Amino acid sequence: MNINSPLAYAIVASLLQVVVIALGGPLLLGLMAKVRARAEERVGAPIHQPLRDLRKLFTKESLRARHSSAVLAIAPLVILGSTTLAVVISPLVTTHPLLRSSSDLFVIVYLLLTGSIAVALAGLDAGTAFGGMGSSRAITIGALAEPALLVAVIALSIQAHTSNLPAIVAATIAHPVWAATPLRLLALAALVIVVIAETGRLPVDNPHSHLELTMIHEAMILEYAGSDLALVTLGAAMRLGVLCALLVNLFVPWGVATGSSLLGLLVAVLFLALKTSVLAVAVALIEVHSAKLRLFRVPELLAGGFVLAVLAVVTGLVTR
Amino acid sequence: MLCVLALAFPLVAGVIALAMPWRAWIGWVSALSAAGVLGVGIALCVEASSGTATTALHGGLRADSLSSFMVVVIGCVSLLATLQTPRVMGREIAERATTPRHASLYVLLMQAFITCMLAAVLAANLGVLWVAVEATTIATTFLVSHNRTKKAFEASWKYVVLCSVGIALAFFGTVLMYFAALHSGVGAPHSASLNWTALMAMAPHLNHGVMRLALALLVLGYGTKVGLAPTHSWLADAHSQAPAPVSALMSGVLLTVAFYALLRCKAIADAALGPAFPRALFLVVGLLSLLVAAALLIAQRDLKRMLAYSSVEHMGLLALGAAAGSSLAISAVLLHMLGHGLTKSTLFISSGEIAHAEGTTEMAKVTALLARRPVLGGIFGCGLVALLGLPPFSLFISEFAMARAEVDAGLWWVVALSLLCLSVIFVSITNHARHLLLGAASSRPMVLNARSVAVPLVSALVVCAFIGVVSWPLLTLLHAAAHVVA
Amino acid sequence: MNGSFYVGALELAAGAVLVCAVITLWRRQIRTIVTMLRLQGVALAVVAGVLAWHEHDLGLAFTALLVLAVKGGLVPWLLRRVVRHDPRSRETAPLMNVPSSLVAAAILIVVSYIVTSKLTDLAPSGATRLVPIGVATVLVGYFMLVTRRRAVSQIVGLLLVDNGIALVTFLLTSGVPLIVELGSTLDVLLVVVVLQVLVVNANAQHGSFESDEMRELRD
Repeated sequence: MNINSPLAYAIVASLLQVVVIALGGPLLLGLMAKVRARAEERVGAPIHQPLRDLRKLFTKESLRARHSSAVLAIAPLVILGSTTLAVVISPLVTTHPLLRSSSDLFVIVYLLLTGSIAVALAGLDAGTAFGGMGSSRAITIGALAEPALLVAVIALSIQAHTSNLPAIVAATIAHPVWAATPLRLLALAALVIVVIAETGRLPVDNPHSHLELTMIHEAMILEYAGSDLALVTLGAAMRLGVLCALLVNLFVPWGVATGSSLLGLLVAVLFLALKTSVLAVAVALIEVHSAKLRLFRVPELLAGGFVLAVLAVVTGLVTR
Repeated sequence: MLCVLALAFPLVAGVIALAMPWRAWIGWVSALSAAGVLGVGIALCVEASSGTATTALHGGLRADSLSSFMVVVIGCVSLLATLQTPRVMGREIAERATTPRHASLYVLLMQAFITCMLAAVLAANLGVLWVAVEATTIATTFLVSHNRTKKAFEASWKYVVLCSVGIALAFFGTVLMYFAALHSGVGAPHSASLNWTALMAMAPHLNHGVMRLALALLVLGYGTKVGLAPTHSWLADAHSQAPAPVSALMSGVLLTVAFYALLRCKAIADAALGPAFPRALFLVVGLLSLLVAAALLIAQRDLKRMLAYSSVEHMGLLALGAAAGSSLAISAVLLHMLGHGLTKSTLFISSGEIAHAEGTTEMAKVTALLARRPVLGGIFGCGLVALLGLPPFSLFISEFAMARAEVDAGLWWVVALSLLCLSVIFVSITNHARHLLLGAASSRPMVLNARSVAVPLVSALVVCAFIGVVSWPLLTLLHAAAHVVA
Repeated sequence: MNGSFYVGALELAAGAVLVCAVITLWRRQIRTIVTMLRLQGVALAVVAGVLAWHEHDLGLAFTALLVLAVKGGLVPWLLRRVVRHDPRSRETAPLMNVPSSLVAAAILIVVSYIVTSKLTDLAPSGATRLVPIGVATVLVGYFMLVTRRRAVSQIVGLLLVDNGIALVTFLLTSGVPLIVELGSTLDVLLVVVVLQVLVVNANAQHGSFESDEMRELRD
């Protein structure tokens, strides 16, 4: 069934994206935990456990520290809002989302950056030592990961002659032979490293640890409780979801709806779920097999990712 | 045929050294092979004076006047060096400083070294020239570390790493020249494009941008082997830690062979780019080498390092002469090569004797050589006089002719700068020599017994003086050789 | 289709050479570095092989096999032997720390692209367009030679320079005459043998052999 009006189609598609990522993000987290548990020969929690945790948290009362300011209250809304906005305009199930002409790579990257800055500020706001320490570590890692992210996506935009993400996805669908070029492979390697860093997975950050030496993201949200914590956790899960979805759609975009039919949208949702699950399993296996890097070794990893991204750009310029 | 014979002499001597356990006569065989090389070189010169080049191995080897002259230079210096082998090795084995197996290895590597140098000067193809020059690096590494001290290993490590890097650059430059030749628009079959004669023929058609880059890389690359600044840092270490005959051969002739490679490449570049850019390049490296040598000779403490830095100075002078580029300049450069080879090898061999007799190479600890060891001190002193470019030795004539040619080319400021550096070097070396040679003896003078040291060294100095005064038999040969690349 | 397969294969192999060089600069374990050198030798052989197939050149095909045997097999094996004699097999303290080295490598890569564009203008083709990749490998090799203390790391830098120049040779001129190629490969092999023997001998006689500790010869 076709939707004739492009605006209506875009609205439907974007709403669908938001729902899919809002539900799918926590499911991806659950899937990663399950893979890890199976690898450790445990049964592990069911895949939808994070959704149940979120529902439980929403019913609890959120306490705020006495000396905190409005930042602590607003930050969960900022991270959720900016991530949702990024989801709305990203090409996740369709190449024609809402506000397509604004769906530029810089816009999406900085929307995601806004969320992480908000959480970092919230970590500082409560005035505890753990929060400040976590915030400084997170910002350091973010400062090193952003250039790599930008340069890697710039490499892709050199190949497609545009920096508009939906246009890049559409161009890649139209030229399947691009998928195996060295530029793509280098950019993929760089982006995998960046995604691991930005979403706080091993070997950069351990999401299950609460030890002072090893916490980064957990340290920042230590002061949250109840519905605030639910919002922050949902925001972080959606962040993981949108980054994984963007990663698979930029490199393996087949399945994304290019036309204007509802059926195409549903098929695209299925394909997205399949591809992001595969990526999540791969990331979980990397997690199982690697130990957490010491903090001052993380710049080495990220610098390596940066050089791979630069290599991708130069390869693109050379082979144009 | 003659070319093959030139290569055969050291090869056969090397095979003998490989096959048989060490005996003293093996050292004499190596000296005999060097004499053979000298003889073949003279014969090649006579043949080349008729105007045509001798070829062998289907054009793989080619001996025009320039190559023949280089064979003569190699023959002279290797004769001097290999005459020391029986005595030096015998002494080291007697003192248990080395084993017979290492002595055989020493002779084998020396012969391999000489073979590679001969292959380099006789090669018709720039690629084969490159391979031969690289092979000399490999052959000499273990010669440098022969003494097996910690310093010797350090010196040979620096030598092989820095020279390999330089040689890789030279390969890059050769490849770029080949690339320019392939796309020159003149139809030539692939395999002929690296032959020197073919490249000279198609030189006017070679792309300028590529040739400029190629020449710069070649100067930097082969310049590392020559010991020109800024890539000269291996020279002092390698030449000071190697045994004396090896230093003599390396400083006397290996640097010159690498410079020969530069001359060949410069000839092509001159034909392709005109004289301006190559001249500028050679002037830069030549002046830089002179400045570096002058600066480092002032406060030098080690005898052999002083001689090594003096080699850097002379290579800088060669580069300046090549920059001038005229027939007179190149003839002077070639005469300087011969004179420097004879003088430097004499100095290094006698410095080896001094080091062995005094037990140290630190100049502060050695004094009054003329009083205590008259023959050795006398030879060393005459060698230094020759090195400083004083008449009647040939270095005076060659430096004077080079200055004259540079003025003719309008490079009077270069002459002024180089004279300034040479004065500084003159003063430094004279100061060191004064301390080494002069003074009162506190003990009875010891006369050097071995004739195998005195006779060859004195003969070398006499020949150097002879060619500095009498123009025959070299004048026509030098002109013919210079004409090849001028 | 043949044309684009040829260009694509060349791009992949040449890119692999440079990526191996960068990973050599990145990782600290010497074992990983030696594996990267082996992969680089194989990628170089693939470049030569693809060019040989495209131009129906038997000499170049033989060169490809030679490169595979020597640079992809013998030389890494010899390096392993050097490392086995040396118990410390990690680059502990390079003169420039790893993230800065990587950023410097990125700058060198961009510089090589800018500088060699003039070269490729003489004969633009699918192969010569990739010359900046070779030059970048040479620069990364020099950088490693200058900023590393371990003797083995310096050998690796030298080999990177050699491999980069070999890549440029293949791309620009489809190889030099066979005898020169033979000589060049043999020389690389001999240099590594010489270096290995030096390191082993020096270790046996004097204990460690660290480039940083070589300070005795000085003016």
